[in-house]
Amino acid sequence: MARKAKRDLTMEEQLARGPLDLPFLMLVLMLLGIGLIMLFSASYYTAFRDSKPPVNNNPYFYIIRQAAFAAAGLVVMYIISRINYQHFRWMAPLALMVSIVLLILCYIPGLNAPINNVRRWLNLFLVAGPTYQPSEIAKVALVLFFAARLCKRDTEKKLRFTKRTGTGRMLNWLEKIGFLELVPYGVVLVVVLGLIVFEPHVSGALLAAVGAAAVLLVSGISLWWFIGLGGAGAAMVGLMYLLTNYVKVKIALWLDPWSADPQHEGFQFRQGMYSLASGGLLGRGLGESNQKYGFVPEPENDMIFSITVEELGFVGACLILLLFALLILRGYWIALHARDKFGTLVIVGIITLLAAQVFLNIGVVTGLIPNTGISLPFFSYGGTALMIQLAEMGMILSISRQIPAPRKD
Amino acid sequence: MGNTPKYPSSRGGLPSIGGTRGTHSKRSIFHRTLFLMAACGILMFVPLVWKLWDIAIVHHDEYQRKASDQQRLEYEISAQRGNIYDRNGKIMAMSSTVYQLILSPRDLIANVPNKDEEGNVLDNAVYQAHISAAQEKIVNDLMDLIPGLDRQELVNHVNATTKAYRVIKKNIEEEEAEVLRQYMSENKTANSLYLIPDTKRYYPYSSLAAQALGFVNSEGGAYGIEAAYNDMLEGTAGRVSTTKTAGGTARYNAYSEYMDAINGYNLTLTIDTTIQSYLEKTLEEGIKDFDVQDGAFAIAMNPKTGAIYGIASSPDFDPNNYSQIINEDLLSGLEEDIAAIYDKLKANNTENLTDSQLMEKAEAQAYSDAVNTQWRSKAIDSRYEPGSVFKAIVLAAALEEGVVKESDHFFCSGHADVPGYPKPINCSNTRGHKDQDLAKAVANSCNPAFIEIGGRLGVQKFYDYFEAFGMLEKTGIDLPGEASLAGAVWSREEMSNVDLAVASFGQRFEITPLQMICGFSAVINGGNLVKPYVVQSVSTQDGTVVQNTQPEVVRQVVSKQTSQRAADILEQVVAKGSGNNGYVAGYRIGGKTGTSEVGTKDTDHYIVSFMGYAPADDPQVIVLLAYDHPQVAEPGSNYGPSGVYISGGNMAAKKAGPLIAQILDYLGIEKTYSAEEAAAADVSMPKVTGVSVPKAEDNLSRVNLRYRTVGEGDTVSRQVPAAGTKIPGGSTVILYLGSSAPEASNTVPNVIGMTYENAKQALEEAGFFMKASGASVYYGNTTTAESQSIAGGVAAVTGTVVDVRFFNQVEDGYTG
Repeated sequence: MARKAKRDLTMEEQLARGPLDLPFLMLVLMLLGIGLIMLFSASYYTAFRDSKPPVNNNPYFYIIRQAAFAAAGLVVMYIISRINYQHFRWMAPLALMVSIVLLILCYIPGLNAPINNVRRWLNLFLVAGPTYQPSEIAKVALVLFFAARLCKRDTEKKLRFTKRTGTGRMLNWLEKIGFLELVPYGVVLVVVLGLIVFEPHVSGALLAAVGAAAVLLVSGISLWWFIGLGGAGAAMVGLMYLLTNYVKVKIALWLDPWSADPQHEGFQFRQGMYSLASGGLLGRGLGESNQKYGFVPEPENDMIFSITVEELGFVGACLILLLFALLILRGYWIALHARDKFGTLVIVGIITLLAAQVFLNIGVVTGLIPNTGISLPFFSYGGTALMIQLAEMGMILSISRQIPAPRKD
Repeated sequence: MGNTPKYPSSRGGLPSIGGTRGTHSKRSIFHRTLFLMAACGILMFVPLVWKLWDIAIVHHDEYQRKASDQQRLEYEISAQRGNIYDRNGKIMAMSSTVYQLILSPRDLIANVPNKDEEGNVLDNAVYQAHISAAQEKIVNDLMDLIPGLDRQELVNHVNATTKAYRVIKKNIEEEEAEVLRQYMSENKTANSLYLIPDTKRYYPYSSLAAQALGFVNSEGGAYGIEAAYNDMLEGTAGRVSTTKTAGGTARYNAYSEYMDAINGYNLTLTIDTTIQSYLEKTLEEGIKDFDVQDGAFAIAMNPKTGAIYGIASSPDFDPNNYSQIINEDLLSGLEEDIAAIYDKLKANNTENLTDSQLMEKAEAQAYSDAVNTQWRSKAIDSRYEPGSVFKAIVLAAALEEGVVKESDHFFCSGHADVPGYPKPINCSNTRGHKDQDLAKAVANSCNPAFIEIGGRLGVQKFYDYFEAFGMLEKTGIDLPGEASLAGAVWSREEMSNVDLAVASFGQRFEITPLQMICGFSAVINGGNLVKPYVVQSVSTQDGTVVQNTQPEVVRQVVSKQTSQRAADILEQVVAKGSGNNGYVAGYRIGGKTGTSEVGTKDTDHYIVSFMGYAPADDPQVIVLLAYDHPQVAEPGSNYGPSGVYISGGNMAAKKAGPLIAQILDYLGIEKTYSAEEAAAADVSMPKVTGVSVPKAEDNLSRVNLRYRTVGEGDTVSRQVPAAGTKIPGGSTVILYLGSSAPEASNTVPNVIGMTYENAKQALEEAGFFMKASGASVYYGNTTTAESQSIAGGVAAVTGTVVDVRFFNQVEDGYTG
């Protein structure tokens, strides 16, 4: 496609060619860079000790794969940032459909790629290729779908039913309190979250719910629904606490992690603490972690932040948290300045997802919240997850292009 | 905000108040986004940062200590134990690195995955089968790799699955370790099967000087020099302090601390392996010849410096396997001891043990007794009555005090009466030595003469010298285990006349052999009591000497002149007296014999000893040789089974003479012959055939040979022996005149029991020549041939030189 001269562009096309948000891009690149460095530092011993294929004691295994995915992810991010994000509106239902199909595929033996009877993964080409989690796609699809629908609330006429029948009056009341409007979202949520929860992947479902909730919240849904649903959720957790041992154990472990068996339940927490504390103010120095030598479990994955703190110290950790905070703030800033409501909602969904992931990961590492098993964006090992993460950043950048320049008087 | 008229493309359209679902949505979007912005961008980080602060800063020390506890790896680097060299630099003890093979049965099964390759948990039965297979494999592999391993024991080790440290094999040499290392890296067993370095002590001369060297057990030097110089030998272990991986592998990084091990010092001894081997061989021979029951000991020392050339004790052991009993006498005695201990235990069985338990106890005790016996160095850690050897000390004291002089005469009636003692004290020769001068009295080892000499000294003077010659103090040798002298001698106050009388000939008090040799050395070395020592120098591994032992004179005991006079008299002991059997032509050996009784008279337990030194005019070596408990022919007898009268002169001196000669030869001290000796020294037979008899006589007398002729004629046609043959001077050669010819061979006559002259004559008549050895050239009628190199009745080539050893029956036995 020959590049059109600027004067031939439609208004839409011109807007889509606007400058992307440089501060946001810079923050993404910085976090990605630091993340790759820390991944290398945290993973090489694990890789070196891992004699099983495909690692084969290659200390560079994780970093090479991650770097390759990061490079591919950057390309994807750039391409997506060049797409006029208005196209996402029509893509959204499609994406949702696709992700639901993929989630269903996770349950089909032969087509899925389960690990230990956990069916979170699919191969990229169904029977071969690297694995990925369809729930990652479902999270974005949910956000996109919700944003695409909810941005039209302002023009959606309230439904009116006959006041003569009781049913009609009932429906009118339900519409008035906003219940009917929520029904389709509820159905979609139940389907998607249900599919994710029973993989089982509770933490993935939790994140998806957070993303969807953020979009719903910002779109102007009455706060009472959130209060009500939040209350119901809390009650559910309370009930599960009373009825199942699983939650009870998790909570007990969270409340008093030091008295757990240091070799089993308490192992990860303890080793994480040792690692964090060893960092002190300025850290042991890049590459100097002692805890990554087999003490901290999965140092390249969920626990990568503990190794980061051990090597870079409290100061380094705060700088990384500052970068995350700036990224999140800049994301919301772009959301506030987005050209339309759709853009706003998409960014809010994506950024809130990212923030939740950061909070849940570091919260677990520091023992602030019970263990959930959520990875740290840009840091934890996981090629496809990183690519999807970068693709999401591409969407935000795409939206940022259409921010009108401030008028200069 | 998004929806201003400037942006007509916005799909929101104008708000239709009340009619749409999203009433007031723009404002709520703004507020709610701001809310999320504040919550996720700022508030969310507050608890995270607070937590991080709490952990990384507040609890930094506490958690980090726990972290480093699990990360720290500290281990020692063992220092190389120093070597021990003899005086010529020959290695007597050295250390080398060996390895221990360690198995962790626990980690062996921990290494077996309980999941299959897809990560599915294995069925327990399958998992157990995998574990058994892994255990089976390691047993089979190790059995293949290490021949001689006990399979059952190995299986027991492998099955101790709760244990993490099992020593499979010790003392693995480098070669075998390399094979094992290869197996380990191929099978990646680093955490379940591994080698740890260890050191092993080698004694290349095995049992040579075993008691002096001692040995090393797990705690370091346990006996002998190894114990006395343990601090110097062992060095200082180094230390590595570093971090490790969770798997236990050491990591080296900037935080590692490395402290080098300081290797131990090397020791160079005064002991000479050659002299030591002479001593040990002599002990062995004597024990065999005299059927010695309780072992023997010998010391060779430089009398001027106190440097010990050799110190031997029998029974001995091999420090390479110090717990093993190798001495045959000890082994054969073990059975008897077990039986004796068993009977004793059985008679006094208060714990009501079963017979087999008692037997076990008896065996353990007998074994431990035997092992302790072989580890002991009798010359240092046991006391004995020196007997007549001690007379040398009394002689020197008396000469120094001027109470006797060489011209004094003593009369011996065979016994002496001592006031306060109920019966007369016998001399060794109960017939009596009759009149004798001082030198003769010493040579005869005459007890009544020495009772008189002792009496002239008096108790106080005697005790002064007793003390001065070091008899009341330890010698201070740098070897452990010098026997305590408590109760060994009388105190000055309680010493009576009778005590003085018996002490004058060395009885009824005990000292260590080492004290005796040091005291004797003071008599003959110019009067100085020296401190004996075995370690000449201490040096670092690279050869820098850090300590060198200087000979130390404890005190001058007698004057140089006195020492000279005493030495002259003592030389006569070997030349003409009771030490006559220690005589070796060419060396001026001085000395004194001794026989002492252990326990009561009825036990027939004697210690026969000889103290010899040479050359008499300038002593280079002094040797004390003693045999403990030569077997008597029958209870109460003074004779051994072979008919030898049990005495120091007959036994110890006889063995000591050749020993001293051997040592002097080895030390490179040239033989000097006296006139009589020179006469008997070997000469080369000149060629006298073809010349007239007077001319031949002239030639022969020039080399101190006599001749007799056979046949008729003027010129010598044949001669025996052939020209150039070495024969003893003074021999009578045979010259054949005219047509007479010698027999090609003849029968050697039996000369055993003959006196010197008779034996010589008998042999020469048969056409042989005699080379005499053994007792000195002052052959009296008591000196008879003891053995001959070619037995009587055997045919030999005419002119052959027959070695005949003479022996002098000496009656210097024990009397009391």
